[in-house]
Amino acid sequence: MTPARATLAGLAGLATLVALALSVGAQGFGWGEGGAWALLRAPRVLAALAAGLALGIGGAAQQGVFRNPLADPGLTGVFGGALFGIALLLGIAPEAAWQRAWFLPAAAFAGALGTSALLVLCGRGGSSARLLLTGLGLNAFTAAGTLVIASRSGESRELLTNGAFGDWLGMATFELTWLPILLCFAATLLLLPSARALDLLAFGEDAARGFGVDVSGARRNAVLLTALAAAAATCLVGQVAFIGLLAPHLARKIVGPRHALVLPCAAFLGAALLLGADTLGRGLWPQAPLSAAAVTAVLGAPLFIWIARGRHE
Amino acid sequence: MSEARVEAIGLAVELGDRRVVDGVSVRAESGQIVAVVGPNGAGKTTLLRALAGLVNTSGELRVAGEDPRSASAQANARHRAYCAQKPASAWDYRVRDLGEIIGAPDAYAECLARLSLADLSERRLTQLSGGEQKAALLAMSFASLAEPYGAVLLLDEPAASLDIARQALVAAEIRRFAQAGGAAIVATHDLSFARNCDLVVVLAEGRLTAAGDPSTALTPDVIAATWGASAQAEA
Repeated sequence: MTPARATLAGLAGLATLVALALSVGAQGFGWGEGGAWALLRAPRVLAALAAGLALGIGGAAQQGVFRNPLADPGLTGVFGGALFGIALLLGIAPEAAWQRAWFLPAAAFAGALGTSALLVLCGRGGSSARLLLTGLGLNAFTAAGTLVIASRSGESRELLTNGAFGDWLGMATFELTWLPILLCFAATLLLLPSARALDLLAFGEDAARGFGVDVSGARRNAVLLTALAAAAATCLVGQVAFIGLLAPHLARKIVGPRHALVLPCAAFLGAALLLGADTLGRGLWPQAPLSAAAVTAVLGAPLFIWIARGRHE
Repeated sequence: MSEARVEAIGLAVELGDRRVVDGVSVRAESGQIVAVVGPNGAGKTTLLRALAGLVNTSGELRVAGEDPRSASAQANARHRAYCAQKPASAWDYRVRDLGEIIGAPDAYAECLARLSLADLSERRLTQLSGGEQKAALLAMSFASLAEPYGAVLLLDEPAASLDIARQALVAAEIRRFAQAGGAAIVATHDLSFARNCDLVVVLAEGRLTAAGDPSTALTPDVIAATWGASAQAEA
């Protein structure tokens, strides 16, 4: 299949998935009279698409920077950091948090950036085990911090608990999600030009610098934009692991390892996977939907073990 | 004397609290191949990385007319290529992808052909032997220099893990680069290769112990003093 045909087939598949996602919900199957139900579900569908794009490309970029196919912002604590940032703001200033559209995304970005910086400082240059153990520690710390804040703040308790379970898509409205959606698209578009640097980084820092890459700049750029993608996606979905692992892995299987193709393909697959998981969770249990994070974990966890096993062997 | 393409005077590198390269001076002109030899741990790799501008150094340094420490990575890469001792890729690229990654697919394909690797261009790196993989990655460095004249090639043990036929092809490729007006500095354990170079630099414990044309720099006395008496058979 030519690349043009494959792209068209992929877009057609995604369009079908969007149509299906708009048809599934608590009100019943279909778009409703005059598309009323579809309109009601549209913010959720758009939020899932945007977050999926950012999660997919963020995972691919983080794997490229760390030269490690097991890196995933969900597993390395970056999403945990984003949620912790949101929890801190809600814990410290619950009233002020909702006053401006950018307050919560900014808090999420600060949290994601903090954990990214710690990950770079502590986990870089070592083995997969070191990176993942650092991520595990950061994840545990931020999750504990989020739960402590949730348990102490009565009004935000349910919100933060739902966020920790990746269950925020259900409350998506255009008023709440327009800014994170824009940020997801921005992070995705801004990460695309990193492809050449990520390809050369595959050969190690010396080689990349030898071939003319400003390694520090490229790494800083990718880490910042991955944190932005993670923060924006967290604002839409809450904490969701494995999309950032699954999407780049599948992308490399489909288009090979060149980042010029992996980055857009991972973004596309991330959008399809997250929307697919959310649609599945709503389709199977319309009255009490399963969160997209739970569905992706069921699919992603065995894959993670499979990839880790393959690398070990 | 023609213009030096590499000129290092009193170059020193400290890694942690250890001085790994200590006051080494190296010079290479257009058309010259300079071999850097010495026992394991002598500082050959660090010297090459220093010349490539990849580690912090003190001393005077000019490579292809510029001080690589003050030029950007992009500017350095225009006139200087570097290949590490054990290059490896994190991802399983196809061989031909490597040419596209460096932005020189045609030059890379030609170089693959000269290194007898053209038939492997559709294969993935993991489908190659260790030697073939090394040669495919080495070809990236050769092909990345659009214009060999006046350019500098820094190769760290390019022949390691290659079979003798491909070692000869790589040696021919280095000579071809020099004949086109480039200057090559090659770290190697292969003294017979070093003897065919224009100049030899002998390092031991980060210091220069001998330098000059192969007949004066690789005497039995130098070899015995640098590698020990057991290596004298090499002489």
